[in-house]
Amino acid sequence: MALDPKLRRGPPWGLILLVAAQAVCAVFFLSDVLDDWRAMGSSISASRHLIVEFAATLALIAAIVFETRYILRLLRREAHLERSVSVASAAMRDVIEAHFEAWRLTPAEQDIAAFLVKGMTIPEIAALRGSAEGTIKSHLNAVYRKSGTQGRGDLLAVILDGLIEARPEPADAVAGA
Amino acid sequence: MEKIKVWDLFVRVFHWSLVGLFTANALLVDHDSDLHLDIGYAIAALVGARILWGIAGRGFARFASFPPSVAGAMEQLTEIATGRRRVHLGHTPLGAWMIYNLLLAILVISLSGWLMTTDAFWGLEWPEHLHEFAVTWAEVSVVLHIAAVLFESRRTRVNLPRAMVTGYKEIPSE
Repeated sequence: MALDPKLRRGPPWGLILLVAAQAVCAVFFLSDVLDDWRAMGSSISASRHLIVEFAATLALIAAIVFETRYILRLLRREAHLERSVSVASAAMRDVIEAHFEAWRLTPAEQDIAAFLVKGMTIPEIAALRGSAEGTIKSHLNAVYRKSGTQGRGDLLAVILDGLIEARPEPADAVAGA
Repeated sequence: MEKIKVWDLFVRVFHWSLVGLFTANALLVDHDSDLHLDIGYAIAALVGARILWGIAGRGFARFASFPPSVAGAMEQLTEIATGRRRVHLGHTPLGAWMIYNLLLAILVISLSGWLMTTDAFWGLEWPEHLHEFAVTWAEVSVVLHIAAVLFESRRTRVNLPRAMVTGYKEIPSE
């Protein structure tokens, strides 16, 4: 489990502090909206003001949810980079992850497929994830079904194929800039 | 299935008394009544006792058994992000942060509420604003706490609400 210090970024502090600050703001505005709502007469201009305030607060809460999901994504990446030791393998990781997302694998399926690509056996994956081998197998079936592959070798072939295709030569290549 | 004792009687009685008293004061009781103040003092006393128990108690009730840890919280978030499951006895790292958050929020509520009753701060607006902000903060935290408990119970297949009633976590064996 040794980590290369260059690749290990640690917790995304900026994002975490941003989420914390936004949470304080959201509660502050929410408290204000509730306060206004209790004090509100029946005037239409007051209720319009209240609706705008409330919508802004909801937008802020949506931003917090979005950022939290992004933090989870970063942590997932970090978890899969655990054993990577070079920049090349980090780039390889990007290609693999792009495939996983194109296949719409769930987070658990992505995790298991990542271990599979690294050549780990089903019992090893089960031990690492703290679940039963049967669970891993059913996730693997979903991975094969979604990727349209028959097994580990086939899956690796598809990913390797993607790596070769990623060269800029052919016009139909996926790799924009 | 493995049954492990995690919450002692004090922790459980504290938890559910706080639930009852906080709900009463936030939602049911008239905020200008004497009863509101009495319940407020009772809540402050409860939290004070919990803090003493956190220092002098035993086992998973001790603060030392659930220190606020950023690394631990990141580890638990990674488990959630990747769908891995690891059994935490006692408080999980994210759960620990929520407990400190709630204890602090309730202390701020108690203190600002008490200030509103003192001669020295009578008529000033900021204790009231602080009181209301802290109450909303605590209410949002409680909603998050309940959502997180349900989410974690589903994810880890350990019935956490039941553990807070019986004191035992039932860890599914696989």
